[in-house]
Amino acid sequence: MTVNELLARFHEVAGNPKAQFDAYLKAGKKVILVAPVYTPEELVHAMGYVPMGAWGGDVELNEAKKYCPAFICSILQSLLELGLKGTYEGASAIIIPNLCDSLRGFGQNWKYAIPSIPFIPMTYPQHRKPEFGAAFTKAGYERVIADLEKVAGEKFDLAKLENSIKVYNAHNAAMRNLAVVLADHAEILPSQRSDIFKSATFMLKEEHTALVNELIEALNAQEAKSDRIRIMTTGILADAPGLTSILDEMNMHIVADDIAAESRQYRTDAPAEFCAMDSLVKKFQNMDNCSVLYDFYKKRVDYIIEQMKEYDAKGLLIILTKFCDPEEFDYPLIKKACEAAGIPTATIEVDRQMVNYEQARTAIETFRDLLA
Amino acid sequence: MYTLGIDIGSTTSKCVILKDGKDIVATSLIIGGMGTPGPTDALTQVFEKSGGLTKDDMAMTVATGYGRTRYEGADLDMSELSCHAMGAHHVFPTVRTIIDIGGQDAKLISLDERGRMKNFLMNDKCAAGTGRFLDVMANILQLDVNDLGAVAAQADNPASISSTCTVFAESEVISQLANGVTTPNLVAGICASVSSRVAALAKRIGPTPDICMSGGVAQNDGVRSAMEKALDTKILVSPMAQLFGALGAAYYAFEKAPK
Repeated sequence: MTVNELLARFHEVAGNPKAQFDAYLKAGKKVILVAPVYTPEELVHAMGYVPMGAWGGDVELNEAKKYCPAFICSILQSLLELGLKGTYEGASAIIIPNLCDSLRGFGQNWKYAIPSIPFIPMTYPQHRKPEFGAAFTKAGYERVIADLEKVAGEKFDLAKLENSIKVYNAHNAAMRNLAVVLADHAEILPSQRSDIFKSATFMLKEEHTALVNELIEALNAQEAKSDRIRIMTTGILADAPGLTSILDEMNMHIVADDIAAESRQYRTDAPAEFCAMDSLVKKFQNMDNCSVLYDFYKKRVDYIIEQMKEYDAKGLLIILTKFCDPEEFDYPLIKKACEAAGIPTATIEVDRQMVNYEQARTAIETFRDLLA
Repeated sequence: MYTLGIDIGSTTSKCVILKDGKDIVATSLIIGGMGTPGPTDALTQVFEKSGGLTKDDMAMTVATGYGRTRYEGADLDMSELSCHAMGAHHVFPTVRTIIDIGGQDAKLISLDERGRMKNFLMNDKCAAGTGRFLDVMANILQLDVNDLGAVAAQADNPASISSTCTVFAESEVISQLANGVTTPNLVAGICASVSSRVAALAKRIGPTPDICMSGGVAQNDGVRSAMEKALDTKILVSPMAQLFGALGAAYYAFEKAPK
């Protein structure tokens, strides 16, 4: 396929995940919803199910408000709203991890509000690095396996997990390569970049890897453009078409990202030198540089500055998800570090039910003027 | 060469015509912003005051403000932060920090010694700390928003308005009125409330003197003096403060016009 054909395919999947969901069900596959963030998809994949990302969507929140206070993450509220509206009917279960305060109580809401889609908790430890933390993580994975066996019927097989880990590591590598290649191709617009990353959560990883590798090959064969403003983005989510279209319009080129729903997903592989379960535990143990992963030293801040320098980004666009405490705690540190390094920043606040991006437009337009 | 800057805000529309990027030929300021006849009226007025110039005489027109993308007569649109920075720098070349309090938002702009924008901050999507907050409060007290500064000057014991939310602050003001707090003391408290929120935003950007205020609220002496107290520094205000956006747009138009 050509670059444009591939981009159209990513756009199609990213823009209509329901079609993808229905197609998998029609093909006789069982779909397991995986809520953010760092849900062990490899376990789901190893049991022959389709792990489908469930990051909510840009919908008006009505029913979900019965279960949530007003000042809570809109990603989770929109996930609940879609569940209550029946969008996910047909899914065999949902796995919800516990990596932020909002997520911690969310599973109970889901269990009560949407009993037709069983809730499977993935309980991660706060301290993932020490051995006691690793044992806790492993126990969490074993609980997920047991629940999956119960709700969906298939038996877990360690040998199949080994294969799934290879599939996921290959996808991680493809996504990392893609990010590097895209840093040299300003002709791929922010909205198109977003489609590529967003579609990854709705497709089987082996299918997505094949498309991404094809895109990398096609991009390498075409002349790269460098006529847009090089920026890095950071935040939880940056996939709203209303936002990405403004970045397109304002001549931005995302040369690196620290977005939880984008590159943060693909930074860490499960190492090959361990048996499959331990390898998956090690993967979580080795993860870093993320607001929802406990780090006393906040190395993420330095990581962002290093990435900015490595990819020659001229400014950092901080996309704060409203009411996201982990991101808000990191924000002053990131801002201060950028100021010390002479890196211009702009901050915009987003949530899942925004229909008007005029204030964001003004901020991004001013940021463009500032960088130009 | 004549250039035109038009600033279509949320509550007012402003125009400035410049000659050769130096001399202000005419200005206009009309109540009524985006979605009202305000922009058309502001254009009509500025041309009337220009001594016979018409749109065809303008080498370039730059639009700014929240209505900038909807105005079809512009050759170019630019964000109001960039334009306020440009306008303020031309009026006060020593200014390093601009506090712009408009009808629906507040913005902080930091400039370098050459007048280039270094950094900026915008308030959250909330009316507290904006002109809208003052409008709501003036309405409850049945005062003209333009008189708030003069009324605040009569205060002997300014009230404390603790609510961040405009709607809750409205209830608080009504309760304080019921408890016998005088109007001047309430107005002084309201002005202090706006200035404390914006001063907090200013402290996030690091307010470097000279500091000036722009936007409609700059004309309110009550807010300005409360802001001076909150930031412990003198704040420059020009009679042109509300026109900085349009003025900056007219300067940009001159810069970008084919010579």
